[in-house]
Amino acid sequence: MSETFTSNFHSVEAAPPQRSTNLGRILARVRRQPATLISFGFIVLLAVVAVTAPWLAPLDPTASDFDSVLQPPSAEHLLGTDDLGRDQFSRLLFGTQIVLLVALGAVVVAAVLGVPLGLVFGFYGGWWDRIGMRFIDMAQALPGMLIGLTVITIFGRNIFILMIAIGLIFASAFARVTRATVLGERGKLYVEAAEVAGLRKPQIIFGQVFPNLIGPMITQAAVFLGSAIMIESAMSFLGIGLDSDTPSWGAMLSLAVEKQNVAPYLTWPPGIAIILTVLAFNVFGDGLNDALTGEKRRNAPRIRGGAPRAALSTAASRATQTADAATGATSQALVLEARDVTVALNRPSGEQVNLVSGVSVSVGKGEVVGLLGESGSGKSTFARAVLGMLPAGTWLADGTITLAGEEISHRSAKELRHIRGDRLGAVFQDPMSALSPVHTIGAQLIEPLRIHKGMSRPAARARAVELLERVGVKNAAGRLDDYPHQFSGGMAQRVAIAMALAAEPELLIADEATSALDVTTQSQVLDLILDLRDEFGMGVLMITHSLGVVAETCDRAAVMYRGRVVETAGVEKLFDNPEHPYTAALLAANPVNAVGQDRLATIDPELRAVIDASIDAQAKKEAVR
Amino acid sequence: MLKLILSRLALAVPQLLLLSFFVFLLTYLVPGSPAAAVLGAAATPESIARVEAQLGLDRPFFDRLVDYYVGAFQGDFGTSYVSARPVTELFAERLPATISLMAGGMVVTVIIGLGLGLIGGTKAGSLRDRIATGMSSFTMAVPEFWIGIVLVLVFAVQLRLVPVVSYVPIQVDPARWLQGIILPSIALGIAGAALIARQTRTAMAEAMAARYVDSLMAAGVSRRKVIFTYAFKNALVPVLSATGIVVSIMLGASFAIEKVFAFPGIGSLMLRSVTGKDFAVVQGGVLLIATMIILVNLILDISYGLINPKSRPQ
Repeated sequence: MSETFTSNFHSVEAAPPQRSTNLGRILARVRRQPATLISFGFIVLLAVVAVTAPWLAPLDPTASDFDSVLQPPSAEHLLGTDDLGRDQFSRLLFGTQIVLLVALGAVVVAAVLGVPLGLVFGFYGGWWDRIGMRFIDMAQALPGMLIGLTVITIFGRNIFILMIAIGLIFASAFARVTRATVLGERGKLYVEAAEVAGLRKPQIIFGQVFPNLIGPMITQAAVFLGSAIMIESAMSFLGIGLDSDTPSWGAMLSLAVEKQNVAPYLTWPPGIAIILTVLAFNVFGDGLNDALTGEKRRNAPRIRGGAPRAALSTAASRATQTADAATGATSQALVLEARDVTVALNRPSGEQVNLVSGVSVSVGKGEVVGLLGESGSGKSTFARAVLGMLPAGTWLADGTITLAGEEISHRSAKELRHIRGDRLGAVFQDPMSALSPVHTIGAQLIEPLRIHKGMSRPAARARAVELLERVGVKNAAGRLDDYPHQFSGGMAQRVAIAMALAAEPELLIADEATSALDVTTQSQVLDLILDLRDEFGMGVLMITHSLGVVAETCDRAAVMYRGRVVETAGVEKLFDNPEHPYTAALLAANPVNAVGQDRLATIDPELRAVIDASIDAQAKKEAVR
Repeated sequence: MLKLILSRLALAVPQLLLLSFFVFLLTYLVPGSPAAAVLGAAATPESIARVEAQLGLDRPFFDRLVDYYVGAFQGDFGTSYVSARPVTELFAERLPATISLMAGGMVVTVIIGLGLGLIGGTKAGSLRDRIATGMSSFTMAVPEFWIGIVLVLVFAVQLRLVPVVSYVPIQVDPARWLQGIILPSIALGIAGAALIARQTRTAMAEAMAARYVDSLMAAGVSRRKVIFTYAFKNALVPVLSATGIVVSIMLGASFAIEKVFAFPGIGSLMLRSVTGKDFAVVQGGVLLIATMIILVNLILDISYGLINPKSRPQ
């Protein structure tokens, strides 16, 4: 049910979003957030206490009783009395009135001042916006207390001025939120449609955009209410809020400080009341915000990559693997030998799925092996399994990984660290984010040299210059202290390759290393990788979704689909005489063949269904076994 | 580097001029006249006129404006209506206490804020992340002055570990100075810690998911070094931009902390002046605090440029 609502929520409509459905959806979400419900319950309770305080309170909160001054809590005075003999419990109950009244008043003032400003800035933009926002920035940079204090100095003390003083503090924040919401709404189709229909700006603002602001505004108001209560308490505590006769929680604490030595019990009730009240408003505001934006949980664990729905090793892949031994190099010369690698993931629902199932791939010395597959096929997860860098929540459930005859699949993090970068290098997609943007490339490039070769800093820098020159970075010595953003994508990827090859590894894993580059740069970088292969004699595992890259660089290739290898063969055989129907379909869908055709070919959905069904059948068979 | 500082200074100067102008206008907002407010209920038209002349409030707008700026550039911000002492002198006396408190508070904020943020952000979504996030949400709801009261109650009144009377100037006795600022710093530090913790958590979680973390890990760099050297410096960029607001929040909170610990800083001077309608001192205080905020933001802007190479002028 929520899925249909979500898709409705994200679609851009030419009419304003339907509010009734939205409201239902939001309420449904709130109902699933126990913390939000509890805090809402507490807020309702506060409101009830505030209204019924005159009947609930055992005594008059302002009545002095000099016969019972500074009495500790007792049956008569539940929370004790202060220096004038006033009953603390009654004052606490009446304090609810003051706190809620001032906070509500302040938020109304803030909204009345801030929302129109935000609407104007957001809708008219231009100079209005630029100058206006400068002032908002400046106002927000000042401590709220300073603004409140200035207002009180000028206009004196009473409850309305206190509301205005606190309201002014939050007006700028309201303006900012309103402006942001308007800017968001402005781009939507229904506003453009209204503009085209010839509605005037005020009509659009108040008739069309304003109703959509109500949700975010209520959320903001809930959050500001919490902050307003904090400020009100602080101001009353400082004696610049309401006069000390008025029962406010802050003023009660002010007295608690004075009488700390004789009456420590005065400290606790008002403090706890403030904390619970502010907490309730904050939790309620956050929960409402989550419900409005449709996020179930802000800190939900990230799951990388699309997980195939079901998985398990196929008989077909086992058959091709046996053939693999014949086509592949002899086992002595293998730099990588992965057997039956299975990577599992726990879904939040508790269900376990295999992202990679029973994958066997080998790479010989000096050999370039492709791992070909569409996104979500599990090829990158396989690469991470080899590197021992599986994302949190996933693990190697089965299989062995051997690097040049040495088993590495169950090593400790520390042992793996000495293997990675030294005997095993990796280059990833998107060179612009592959290097830390706030560190020089030199600092990053010398890391593997210092770690694995034990070089001193100057020696590592000298070697780094050689490496940069080798990968084709011009004026290498001068560029060592440059930052990644000063390099083009292709050059940055060359730097990343230099880093991966710094310690001359036996195996290089290139995970979509050239996918983000333009075609010319792509073939230059691929040529570089092949040259380096010849020079260092390393094996290369080329992970890609591109048939072109495989054809251009690989000796052999394994085709992955839904977490398993469906076929492994020499490149020529793979292209000329594919065995598995998926490989054949993939080749047929190659965009190169589409030249001169009306549209790009894709894998025929019916064919895909047939392939999926055969994989599912095999998976079921294996699950039974 | 010089270019960076100059470009940021060029932005700070007009801000300062504009702010000081608003502060100048404040006395015109007072209903009636500041002189009437100072004199209170006993004011007669004659006494009001006399005090106005005495304070120079009867002079034309433009003359007063010129005087204000000429004085301000020489460090003269007028004299107190109540004590007749120079405003500059009054604040200069109290600035060391405020700076001690703010510095101590900042140390606590950084330790708690970065600590909680790193605990959560380095393993986003985990149980320890949820605990750390919960703790920072909770501190957001606790009034810092109440923490101060509780600290005094527990450590000074009950356990008698520290003296109740707190501030001793550092040049008088550094050991007692330190002893005196520990509790107020903890209370004040908690006021800023929640925001730093939130920012750090988000920034760190984002940094940990970045591709360069993979590249460095794949190059054999230890997880500890990747987190504390590489991811952390990246995370500092957004954290730094939140620090200006944190300093502002802490300055505001320091008023109440000063009251709890009887701290002789600018907060208590300001409060006394608000109650006594001493407009000259309030004006001076608003200007001083606003200037402090602008200066802090200037320093933060420059450090931001040092950390983030992309924001440096090319």
